[in-house]
Amino acid sequence: MTDRTPRRDQITEHLSDHGLLALVARGDRDAFARLYDLYAAPAYSLALRVVRDRDLAADVVQDAFLAIWNQASKFDSSRGQPSTWILTVTHHKAVDIVRREERRRTEAMDEAHDAPDRSAPVEEQAWQGVAREQVRAAMSKLPDPHREVLELAYFAGYTQSQLAERLAVPIGTVKSRTFAAMNALRELLAASGMHPEQEWNTSTS
Amino acid sequence: MEHVDELIAAHALHALDPQDERLVEEHLAGCERCRAQLREMEAVSAAIALSAPGAQPPPELRDRVIAAIGPVVPAPAEPERGRERRWSWWPRVSAVAVPVLAVAVVALAVWNVSLRNDQSAHDIAAVTNVGNVGSLVAYQSGDATLVGNLRPAPANHTYEAWVIPQGQSVPVAAGTFPGGDGISFTLTRHASPGDTVVITLEPGSGGPTPKGPAVAKTQLPA
Repeated sequence: MTDRTPRRDQITEHLSDHGLLALVARGDRDAFARLYDLYAAPAYSLALRVVRDRDLAADVVQDAFLAIWNQASKFDSSRGQPSTWILTVTHHKAVDIVRREERRRTEAMDEAHDAPDRSAPVEEQAWQGVAREQVRAAMSKLPDPHREVLELAYFAGYTQSQLAERLAVPIGTVKSRTFAAMNALRELLAASGMHPEQEWNTSTS
Repeated sequence: MEHVDELIAAHALHALDPQDERLVEEHLAGCERCRAQLREMEAVSAAIALSAPGAQPPPELRDRVIAAIGPVVPAPAEPERGRERRWSWWPRVSAVAVPVLAVAVVALAVWNVSLRNDQSAHDIAAVTNVGNVGSLVAYQSGDATLVGNLRPAPANHTYEAWVIPQGQSVPVAAGTFPGGDGISFTLTRHASPGDTVVITLEPGSGGPTPKGPAVAKTQLPA
């Protein structure tokens, strides 16, 4: 029999995220590697922004991708995009660390990590760069109090009651402000042509 | 529930206090409208991740993560003969050793299953595009799995897969599936190199010969 097996990276390259995850659910390591290549950078950037430590951020990403591997067969594709799931799992793991280690929240970033990493972007998927600019532009258009609740909740890991305390406003205000901020962000993203509930990985189409 | 919309936005940010989180979880279990709302909010929340300064994970992390999902099981050279040898001394073990051995046998069975899965996952023969639906992944074993997205079949209809063996014209039924996002449907019969695979939309629960329109087709490379 002649070997007509194509290279695995050629196979996984044109699969959608849902297709990749379906293969991962069957225990396909190459599809898993491809998902890692697609989403490790945004997951790591998120984890680093939350835990502010490179080693811890790497541990968070490893934990998150292990969870993806172990739970892929239980992923309900009607519940949304694999990219959302991967970043949500990463976010939960990172925030849980920050909540355990309260001091991380106020600690300065180790070394100068607020500066963008110049060594790297060659590897970044083109669509990610575009999406990143769209999200940053949308965030910058939010009224300051809206952006503040989103950043403190999402990146600093404050719960609603902790936010009320920190901002010295009633918890009801925090809740309604969070709700308004999320809706405003969704509308700003939609206005810029980004629909985060659709598949992000446009490298296949 | 009155404030549930507000709580869902915070839930998507993983920012609820524990008592509110329990409240929302309970409500979500019985409310499809709020689950849909949560899906939307979670997508917005994940988009916020992209506003973090872009950083690259350390290159060695990739190897670490892939090593962490478990070892690649090497294929044993002559598994069949090895198994015979194992069984040949089974009757001679003492009663004391039996429980230990039973554990070992279970472990061996699990190992065999994982080995099979591992092999089938790796022995991909071809991947072809199936119209707008997605891809057909054909394995060396003859198994073929359709992965992709297809609008759910309308009421009283089903999608049906067919294999037309190379050089023939009569489609052979290869199973039905309802469609939807994230399909992973393994055909109920093997597909070989050169075969054509067709997906049709069939009335009722499908049947042995196609009656409905073809929605997509693909041919495996010969």
